[in-house]
Amino acid sequence: MKKTIIVLLVALLAGSFAFAQGAGEAAASTGPMTITMLYSATQTEAGSLPDDWAGYAVLRDKLGIDLQLDMLPSNPNDQDLAIRTRAAADELPDFFTCSREVWADLAKNGQVLDVTDYYDDMPNRCAVMFDQAARNFVTYEGRIYGFATPSAIAGNEGLLVRKDWLDNLGLAAPTTLDELFDVLYAFTYNDPDGNGKNDTYGYGAFVEETVSYEIYPGRRFEPLMGAFGVEGTWDMGADSFGLQIHKDAYYDWMVFFKKCIDAGVIDPNWQSYKKDDFRAAWKQGKFGCFREQNSAYASENNYSPFDANFPNGGFIVVDAPIGPNGDQSVGPLCQGMRVYAISSDVSAEKAAKIVEMFDWMSYGEGYMLCGYGEEGKNYILDADGLPQSDASLGDLGYNQAGGQRYIQLRNCAFNYSNAQEIALRYPGYITKVSQKYMSAGDVLLEMQKKTWTATPGQNSMPAPESTDVTTFYQQGIAEFLNGKRALTPENWKAFVEQFDKIGGLAWEQQGYDFASANGLLQ
Amino acid sequence: MAKKKNISVAVRPTAADHGFNIMVTTFMVLLLIILIVPIWSTIALSFRPANYIGSYLEGMFLAPWKWSTAAYRSLLGNQGFLNSFGNSLKILVMGVATALFLTVPMAYALSVKGVPGKKWITIFVMIPYVFDVGVVPTYLLISKLGLVNHLPSVFMPVALSTYNMIIMRQFFEGIPNDLRESAFIDGCNDVQIMFKIILPLSKAIILTIALYYGVSFWNDYMRSLLYLQKSALKPLPLLLRDILIGTSMNDNLEASAFGSAPIEAIKAASVFISAIPMMIAYPFIQKYFTKGTLAGSVKG
Repeated sequence: MKKTIIVLLVALLAGSFAFAQGAGEAAASTGPMTITMLYSATQTEAGSLPDDWAGYAVLRDKLGIDLQLDMLPSNPNDQDLAIRTRAAADELPDFFTCSREVWADLAKNGQVLDVTDYYDDMPNRCAVMFDQAARNFVTYEGRIYGFATPSAIAGNEGLLVRKDWLDNLGLAAPTTLDELFDVLYAFTYNDPDGNGKNDTYGYGAFVEETVSYEIYPGRRFEPLMGAFGVEGTWDMGADSFGLQIHKDAYYDWMVFFKKCIDAGVIDPNWQSYKKDDFRAAWKQGKFGCFREQNSAYASENNYSPFDANFPNGGFIVVDAPIGPNGDQSVGPLCQGMRVYAISSDVSAEKAAKIVEMFDWMSYGEGYMLCGYGEEGKNYILDADGLPQSDASLGDLGYNQAGGQRYIQLRNCAFNYSNAQEIALRYPGYITKVSQKYMSAGDVLLEMQKKTWTATPGQNSMPAPESTDVTTFYQQGIAEFLNGKRALTPENWKAFVEQFDKIGGLAWEQQGYDFASANGLLQ
Repeated sequence: MAKKKNISVAVRPTAADHGFNIMVTTFMVLLLIILIVPIWSTIALSFRPANYIGSYLEGMFLAPWKWSTAAYRSLLGNQGFLNSFGNSLKILVMGVATALFLTVPMAYALSVKGVPGKKWITIFVMIPYVFDVGVVPTYLLISKLGLVNHLPSVFMPVALSTYNMIIMRQFFEGIPNDLRESAFIDGCNDVQIMFKIILPLSKAIILTIALYYGVSFWNDYMRSLLYLQKSALKPLPLLLRDILIGTSMNDNLEASAFGSAPIEAIKAASVFISAIPMMIAYPFIQKYFTKGTLAGSVKG
């Protein structure tokens, strides 16, 4: 029994030590100014920025800042919860990233700083990021309460078609909707991979939707919807504004969609696939046509399973098919935004330091440290003075697994539109098995050249106030597609009328008011 | 009055008995399959090579010599994963020790007859069990106590579980009072009685409750999310969620933090590794578990 007591006491002692460990507030000093920052990391699962990241020393020595970093969790809902809880406890960090919804509440509550006058102190960042749309994104009652920076490259997806399958079947790349249907049909029934089995489909997808922007059936079907001019949730035209479902052409799209499903040319798992399943499926040669993101398709790590499975296989990026009325679109195009805000509790002196640091991150030394890590450790400069990662850097190269921790602040640095930045992010490489040249950067540029529907700000449009509206919308369309409800003009009209009654019209009005107030109508 | 003969008769099972046994066996086998399939599926997926072609179902029957250990090598070579595993172990050990240190004496004290204020103490303990004060007030309390960004913030708020304490108290109440009285006569005080008489007789309930606490601390997500803001303090459930969510969100990035290992295999391997400590603990505690979980279910 003495042993038990000793074990318990030792455990408690260990517990008391644990209280002492961790992150107590640094003692006040006359040294560098401490800035706490909660940020959205490039890859949360890679781990935190290492203590030996050279940027800490540069910030301390040159800018007089002791930067205390913490990562937000990867899940957006968890991020919101973490920020909201700290806001409720009045313990917001000095500088943080948050969703626009959370930011809007904080701005209403007066918990984030009015930074309108600080924009002039960031000449470098303003030159590459803060256009009027970005400022509108974080404007509340005429004043700016944050910084909206690009969160991803716009137009980085495209319609891919298996080139080897087209060649095997003697088909040309489709340009119209009818041609596309014929290709999908041949991919499904004419054994495009020549394995003697009926194990392929024409089109592959999964449900990837954002209600306020790319509603059900979602993003992966937009190249087909674009042929009817009904891609995205909204028509953002000043004269034609409204929910796409209210257009007559939406019924035509549904007829085509149902025809594809009935013909069996769409992988029937599209309603149950998750993103991983979808991506595993095209890498396994399940279907030959789909919409995909440039890097998810062509980056070395992502392409290698397909390369190993099909060394003689390959894809081409085609433009979205042209529909019966000449409509064509890969999907709605608008720039995603990430919001940074300063707590209203910080002093004017500290706010100025934060702004100085934020500008430093967007150019020169700060940009390189945040975006590519440390020279000689995570990158080397080539003859043109551009950062490169080569074998001499081993696993710590900025595009290798071990290097990912050193570029966790990349989101604070990148502007996601600069051609040089894109070229550096997506260097070309030779595939391991088929020994062919691939470049996600080249693919991106090709995808961006295709036909998109420019709708700036559509991704900030409101969702319906009640989720019943969304559920009714999704279930109704699914029932038509699954054959539970006959797709006839009368039934469709009755469905849309019912949708309007339960809140569809109110949502449309809400959207119109928002778009008008924020200058989003085109 | 004629006395009834006490005859022991070997009863031959009827066809109905056989039928019943077959039904029970079939049901148990089905239950076993239902339990094993997801575990096996996770294991098989974690070893799936990058160049695997086939359906998900076929993947479950992939021959072991075609397995790849890339996912495990990536995870175990990842400093963040090892750090989080260490944090979770610290929370587990410190949490269980602290929880038992608080729960056992309280349960014992409330099991002793004649303790003054016993009823009121019990009511006081029951209040937080019935009424949840919510996330923000709890966060404020933890913050004011200076526990934010310290590992004990994960287990201290729940180190005394009312439910576990009541189960333990019921067990203690089942121990004959004569033992306690005899110890008193022999000169023991209350503390000595608890350590020398009661606890040696209560291994089953202590290990069972320790397991309850251990599982809850090991799996805790929400408190870790709210109170451990420093990345270096992140325990395994937080990292696990980052891996499960983050790898899906980040597969459009140009490089993966886990090298060339397939994302699906990384997810499955991380789930499996995180379950290992509990899988190891269960067999050792199993022999006490049934007895412990039945504590207090029958009185008298």
